[in-house]
Amino acid sequence: MALLEVRDLVVEFTTEAGTVHAVEGVSFELEHGQALGLAGESGCGKTTTALSLMRLLPSNGRVVSGSIRFDGRDLVKASEETIRRIRWNEISIIFQGAMNSLNPVQRVGKQIAEPIVVHEDVEVSEAMRRAGDLLELVGIPARRISEYPHEFSGGMRQRVMIAMALACNPKIVIADEPVTALDVMIQAQILELLERLKRELDLSMIFISHDLSVLAETCDRIAIMYAGKIMESGGTVDVFTDAKHPYTQGLVGAFPDVHGRRVLPDAIPGTVPSLISPPHGCVFHPRCKYAFERCPRAEPALATTTPGRRVACFLYPEVAEVPARSTPLAKP
Amino acid sequence: MGTADVVLPASRVVPPWRASLTVAARRLEDVWAQIRRSRTAMVGLGILVFFALMATFAPLLAPYGPMERTPNCNALGQLCPPSNEHPLGTSFNNEDVVSQVIWGSQVSLFVGVVSAAVASVVGTAVGLISGFAGGWIDEVMMRFNDIVLSVPWLVLMIVIAGIVGIIDLWGIIAVIGLTGWSLTARVIRAQVLSVKERMFVERARMVGSSNWHILWRHIFPNAFPLIFANTILTVAISIISEAVLAFLRLSPPSVISWGRVINDAIQGGALINNNAGWLIAPGLCIVFLVFGFYLYGYALDEILNPRLRRR
Amino acid sequence: MGKLLRVAIQRTVNAIITIFGIIVLNYLLVRLMPGNPALSITPRDPRYGDLINYNFRLFGLDRSPGEQFLIYLQRTITLDWGVSYRWNAPVLDILLRDLSWTLLLVGVSTIFTIVIGMVVGSYAAWKRGKPFDFMSTGLSIFLYGMPIFWLGLMLQAAFSPSFRPFSWWPTLPNKFYYDDRLGAWIWDWAHVSSTMLHLILPALTLSLGSLAGISLVMRSSLMDVMTEDFVLTARAKGLTERAVLRRHIFPNGLPPMVSLIALDLAFIIGGAYQVEVIFSYQGIGYRTIAAINDLDYPLLQFIIVIGGAAVVIANLISDFILLKLDPRIRIA
Repeated sequence: MALLEVRDLVVEFTTEAGTVHAVEGVSFELEHGQALGLAGESGCGKTTTALSLMRLLPSNGRVVSGSIRFDGRDLVKASEETIRRIRWNEISIIFQGAMNSLNPVQRVGKQIAEPIVVHEDVEVSEAMRRAGDLLELVGIPARRISEYPHEFSGGMRQRVMIAMALACNPKIVIADEPVTALDVMIQAQILELLERLKRELDLSMIFISHDLSVLAETCDRIAIMYAGKIMESGGTVDVFTDAKHPYTQGLVGAFPDVHGRRVLPDAIPGTVPSLISPPHGCVFHPRCKYAFERCPRAEPALATTTPGRRVACFLYPEVAEVPARSTPLAKP
Repeated sequence: MGTADVVLPASRVVPPWRASLTVAARRLEDVWAQIRRSRTAMVGLGILVFFALMATFAPLLAPYGPMERTPNCNALGQLCPPSNEHPLGTSFNNEDVVSQVIWGSQVSLFVGVVSAAVASVVGTAVGLISGFAGGWIDEVMMRFNDIVLSVPWLVLMIVIAGIVGIIDLWGIIAVIGLTGWSLTARVIRAQVLSVKERMFVERARMVGSSNWHILWRHIFPNAFPLIFANTILTVAISIISEAVLAFLRLSPPSVISWGRVINDAIQGGALINNNAGWLIAPGLCIVFLVFGFYLYGYALDEILNPRLRRR
Repeated sequence: MGKLLRVAIQRTVNAIITIFGIIVLNYLLVRLMPGNPALSITPRDPRYGDLINYNFRLFGLDRSPGEQFLIYLQRTITLDWGVSYRWNAPVLDILLRDLSWTLLLVGVSTIFTIVIGMVVGSYAAWKRGKPFDFMSTGLSIFLYGMPIFWLGLMLQAAFSPSFRPFSWWPTLPNKFYYDDRLGAWIWDWAHVSSTMLHLILPALTLSLGSLAGISLVMRSSLMDVMTEDFVLTARAKGLTERAVLRRHIFPNGLPPMVSLIALDLAFIIGGAYQVEVIFSYQGIGYRTIAAINDLDYPLLQFIIVIGGAAVVIANLISDFILLKLDPRIRIA
């Protein structure tokens, strides 16, 4: 039984310009002690998926259908109270851009200790002591708990976010673009830190990034997202060395090979589709060089080709069509 | 595919000035569309148009001139209560109040807009120079700004009015303009400072653009939306300032503005003589006109200020 | 706390320089007023012919402008402010007494304004988009732009004996009761209650405009903060909405409001001037207008400085409050 099981998650946003279909039937699992990577371009729905796990969507967003099974409970149907208790205590999240994710007028130690005090019945002094320990864990001297966020550098702030995320010993840590805003040297340090913590604390992680190289380093399994759907998933090495979906192939191929010939890699032609009126059929078909007659007509479902490997592309015989849904997509 | 050079056909190349105009025009269209969508903006705009029309067509709308003595009333010294002839009664000099209110819109709008323009120009200039030049020029100007901001504007206005001697309408405009620039300057300077920090100005400078060019092409377009929204609010303040000055009888006697009418109403004992409208009507005009400006400026600010749009 | 002290001293020095600037500006302005100052100070009665010469020499008008300025400076600092010719009392005494009355008016109004304004603004931000938000915002903009003198007149009329729509409609005094001999702070019950009664309308007039402004700013500031990332972090930690508001949104919403109020202070005090004139409330504002109309030169010479200094000091105090509230400023 997987630690986290997401099935056919559908998330929508209501905006002035129309309904945005941000997540369109996403399914994946997270096993205990595993690191799952969610890869994809900006705006493909990775962050929205992560936020829906903890019911942190903004007021104009909602989960339309699907299930999120965590520890035997369905988080979509759970009560507010249950969700509040799960937040941070069992699932925590490291946001992108820690500069804005920390309260600028509150001392760092207090912010780290805050969830501890909220969720566990401990004295404030005890919580502050633990905050100091957590800082040490991420490589920051404990005495800095009395400092303010602006007194830390970018990389340090990200470490503080990590320390804060671990405050209540959660089962799952979601890292949303944790190193994107940092320079390469600091990136390496933070990634190393995350790997070490995952090992030492036996964490299960969901790693969100648009940077495939980062995911390749840190994740055991990976799921490639595009326009709100998962195109392909499987073991990281497997997916990268033997990419099945044309989109994945395009992504992987976009990395110039250090050892290969000196050519500019092929870009994937076209642009990301509008999520308000997505293309009919396979959402990637307008940009796909292998597209054939079936592609614009029906939507490929995510199906297993070999154990542990899944693709959503009609090129593979195992892939069936997605049954028609109640929310119609754009007309062809 | 590959590294083929991309060459634009000659017909597709436009001169840079044309390009910037097109971009500006498109942006204006975009902003206008957003204005039309915003209820707040449309209501505000509606009010403004109403008063603008009143001011423009005053000669046609007002039954009498602003200081015209109407014959069909009591002898001098006794004012008439409201009647069919004079819905708001007359003043001490037998001037029809309704006409005065209508003519008053001209003064308020004219003085309000022009003095706000003066204040904006001065404030923008000071803010741009101060923010851009930095150093001791900046320090001195900001000190001066602080001082002008600290003295209650009413006092400053009155004292300057006392000095200038309230000669004419332009004096009033000068007075309001010279006291209203401080806030604009402060705001513009802050914007300039933040823009100055940004990378692209550094790059432009490295490429060798002159200071003037940077000011004109980089800093000004970024600060402009702010200046515009700020000016609208300044107009509202100017209108109130003019009304206060008129009310305190510091404006020229020949100018009939709403503030003056209110003062006349008090002096003429409007309430005692059952002519409350005399007192209320011009006041309501001021209130609604300012309300219109604030609504419009508020909505415009939300549209032009990208940070606010996120909400 | 060294940083805090250093910034505090810097601000104080700035304030002193500004006040000095006001003194200079005042000197220039008043000197530029038409008419021979000596003639202005002395009553135009031929009996006072000698007095003119005396005043002439007292103000050093027979010396060079530079010397005049130094004399003025010296007299300002040594608090030798002469005698008001209109009121026939030492300028210093008059101004101090007026200041106490004005402080009473502004103080009462400000407390009312801040408390009610903050509550209304916060509630509007909380319930943004709902009817209360629209109504209160619209009403606030309406009131904020209203010329204070007109509002005062309207309120006077509304509570005057001739206007009584219902039998229980109160009649409130519209002229301030002013006993020359008493100051504002005598604790005699009859005096205090009478003062309070007479204070209702003027204070109300002054409050309404500022209240509207504050609620608008509060709402705006809180709404700005609500979109910040650290608010999402706070929710993700499992805090209740109320806790998020109390511990994260509010503390960050307050600093911008304090600084904006400080900026508004000059306008608020300008409003007090108008209210005082309308209600014949003999505070600084009333005295200033009277002094200008009478060309009461001795009084005029210092009353502008007092008014300006009051604003500068108020700004300084709010600067200090801001320093305590927002630790980021200590760096700047």
